[in-house]
Amino acid sequence: MTNTENTLNAEKTQNLVNLTIDGKPVSVPHGTSVIEAAKKIGSKIPHFCWHPGLSVAGVCRLCMVKIEGNPKLQIGCNTQVTEGMKVETKHQEAKEAQKWALEFHLVNHPLDCPTCDQAGECKLQDYYMQVGRYDSQVNEEKVLKPKALDVGTELILDTERCILCSRCVRFEDQVSKTSSLGIFNRGDHSQIGLIPGRRIEHNYSYNLVDICPVGAFTARDFRFKCRVWFLEKTKTTCPGCSTGCSVSVFGNKMEREYYRLKPEVDHEVNGHWMCDYGRKMYKHCNASARQSVPQKNGTPVDWNRITNELVQELTKARNKKVALVLTPQYTNEEYALVLSSIKQILGTTPTVFIWRPETENPTEFDGVLFRGDHNANTKGLERALSQANIQAEIIRGNIEPLKNANPDLTIVLGPEIEMAYGNIENTLQSLSKLSNVVYFGVTLSDTTKQFSLTVPTKVFVEKNGTYLNYNSMPRKLIANAPVFSQIMGLDDMFAAALQRIEQ
Amino acid sequence: MPLMKNDYLGRKPEDFRIFSIFEGKENHRTLDAYRQHDGYAALTKVLKEKIPPDDVITMVKNSGLRGRGGAGFPTGMKWGFVPKAPGEKYVITNFDEGEPGTYKDRYIAEMNSHMLIEGMILAAYAIGAAKSYVYIRGEFIEERKWVETSIREAYEAGFLGKNILGSGFSHEMDIYFGAGAYICGEETGLISSLEGKKGQPKLKPPFPAVQGYLGKPTIVNNVETLAAVPWILRNGPDAYRKFGTEKSAGTKLFNLSGPIVNPGCFELPLGYPLKRFIYEDGGGLLDGKKLKAVIPGGASAPVLTAAEIENINLDYESVAAAGSMLGSGAVIVIPEDISMVDVLHNIMAFFAHESCGQCTPCREGTGWLFRIVDRFKKGTATKADLDRVYDIANNMAGRTICTLSDAAAMPAKSFIRKFAHEFEARIR
Repeated sequence: MTNTENTLNAEKTQNLVNLTIDGKPVSVPHGTSVIEAAKKIGSKIPHFCWHPGLSVAGVCRLCMVKIEGNPKLQIGCNTQVTEGMKVETKHQEAKEAQKWALEFHLVNHPLDCPTCDQAGECKLQDYYMQVGRYDSQVNEEKVLKPKALDVGTELILDTERCILCSRCVRFEDQVSKTSSLGIFNRGDHSQIGLIPGRRIEHNYSYNLVDICPVGAFTARDFRFKCRVWFLEKTKTTCPGCSTGCSVSVFGNKMEREYYRLKPEVDHEVNGHWMCDYGRKMYKHCNASARQSVPQKNGTPVDWNRITNELVQELTKARNKKVALVLTPQYTNEEYALVLSSIKQILGTTPTVFIWRPETENPTEFDGVLFRGDHNANTKGLERALSQANIQAEIIRGNIEPLKNANPDLTIVLGPEIEMAYGNIENTLQSLSKLSNVVYFGVTLSDTTKQFSLTVPTKVFVEKNGTYLNYNSMPRKLIANAPVFSQIMGLDDMFAAALQRIEQ
Repeated sequence: MPLMKNDYLGRKPEDFRIFSIFEGKENHRTLDAYRQHDGYAALTKVLKEKIPPDDVITMVKNSGLRGRGGAGFPTGMKWGFVPKAPGEKYVITNFDEGEPGTYKDRYIAEMNSHMLIEGMILAAYAIGAAKSYVYIRGEFIEERKWVETSIREAYEAGFLGKNILGSGFSHEMDIYFGAGAYICGEETGLISSLEGKKGQPKLKPPFPAVQGYLGKPTIVNNVETLAAVPWILRNGPDAYRKFGTEKSAGTKLFNLSGPIVNPGCFELPLGYPLKRFIYEDGGGLLDGKKLKAVIPGGASAPVLTAAEIENINLDYESVAAAGSMLGSGAVIVIPEDISMVDVLHNIMAFFAHESCGQCTPCREGTGWLFRIVDRFKKGTATKADLDRVYDIANNMAGRTICTLSDAAAMPAKSFIRKFAHEFEARIR
């Protein structure tokens, strides 16, 4: 968090400074900048270089405001509020300065919007509509700079599009602390670039794409794949690790295809950022990566049939040995429902096993956001089991304890994010050798086809519910329409199963 | 270097010499030469008599000394901004002399750098700084050697180092070479550079007097400013005020350049008539050429027409009243046969090259202005470009962290406005 945010959050009890912005009164803590105070009353002062998660640079000169009694316009980002201050963000002088600041930014900008991935969410475009709307006066040749530079594992850099706001440089210095970037040369030949011998290879590189107000940094993973105006976002929680960052998942509704994740501001958990590992959390959600049709002994069946089959398996198993294998990647609500439904159908509590990744360092933490526990809901699973008074044995790779229990029916809620499990295939192979396995999971393979029943599951972005993060803080999931329209979630399926048994 | 020629205000030319006393002397750069002119007497007096630091500041305030780098800010007031509480503080000499047409600071080094060094030690004593730096422009190879030699001599003579003259006051001095960036003459740009960073001005507030070099209270003064301090403390503020005008006290070094019979660095009392300077001391224009315009204070000062300089005196107020600025005291004379388009082209090329690139209006504006003026030079500009230059310049001025943007805007505006006919003649 920046100092000003700390001030905003921590000094709530301290004396407030009263001022007016565009005639509206506002009270903010001492030390707040004009730009933040304006934000509070919904007055958006245009800005490029200021970012609430970074230090103040004061270089774009877009956030010019008129302050009563001050002959010169001031920048909103580096001007602290004072008692009785009268700020005008839409004063004619300020508007003129903002318009000119925008035009200066565009003097050497290539205006290649038709081929730029940022088009549609570009601050140059947005502010042109907000404060620009002039006819360009630039008749000069533009300064040419290097394009499509390979600057890191995930990133491509176009130095011509760059408006030199220095957000990325400050991010590298202050957040990732990798200091890979600098601005080289002077004047209008200034150029963003890598410090010699360095590359952007850390786990937070996509944030550079997010904070870049223009299309200078683009993500290899996203560029040229989809126009942003086709994307709609679902605000939810990242399932990538036990931190549980607030994120948005962006998908094209017409295609039912997800393209990317971006962080949502959440001062209690992730601030403004998220990690690159979490950015991959859309891949397993797309149709091409998932099974859509339930299988009985490797043969596709419909959803009605699979529900009946599940009911049959469960009723057959009454008074027999049933094992339930849970992975820490489902929601609190799913655990509660599955545990209670199975108990209700069987009349007894099954033997529960927790299946965790074969190799993991769950206590590891990178000091920023990413945790070694690559499961979103370890704490939720622990709590669900303790609330149900169940002692569960942990299995990792070796399923001997499960085998030794010699179950007549084994129900497995397999991991949603299989890459967190490394070589999941070994364990699946072992599971397939058990007598009667009902497997819930996202992918279909030759191994999973060997199970009695294989049931496709919903992914996090299709679920409502909660995870408990590493700190036992509830993290909310909000459901988007599922990629496969017919898919039944665990909730639908167990509810249907219970209903059929009652009939 | 040439000297003032004739009596002025009933005083002889020799009466106006603070820096130019060494002119024409043998071995004038040595410590001995400096001591022959009461060198280090001021420091000795201050330390031996234990004059309180605040009294030193008051004397400088009362002398009316103003920053000689260009802005003319009252020096004593600047020193007074430094917090009184003890702690790490710095004095930095701005020897990054880079304003086109200016060569006055190197003149001081060439004469005798001890003037500067004594001034720095006194400034350090006044604000309580234990360390000072001379930030010297990288191209100044000879000057660097002279300053280094003088610092060494001062250490050997006990004017620098631990417990100076047994007073208990200790001070260390070092020298740092810039890399030839104009922007490092801006005090916070200089501080960034001294800190090992890219030479770019810093956001203000905080101001250097409170948070400067390494985040500590720092004063940055021009060479000429600091070099005047020993004289002021030796002779008293009132003696200094006997030179110059009420608001522009003292003498100042002026650099006369252009096609002038007698160009060079002159020490003149402030308030000296510009025309007299050009025609009497400077000997007028070469080959009897007619004067067209004068840039009175370095490349960033608005240009004045020959008619406008008729009654101007060389002091801060008089030049400002005429719509320009005294700046660094670089008087650039432009004769009738030089195209103003070419002169502006030259100036715009300079600022486009020297803009640090940090603030958008300056980064983009300086380059944009240059390219438009370039089209005037090539004959491809249009009438609309004239207004455009003015608009661009207007919207660069006052909109950036430092005043380089203003420095580029001012000549652009003044050239276009005052010599529109010359630009119109080049229109396509």
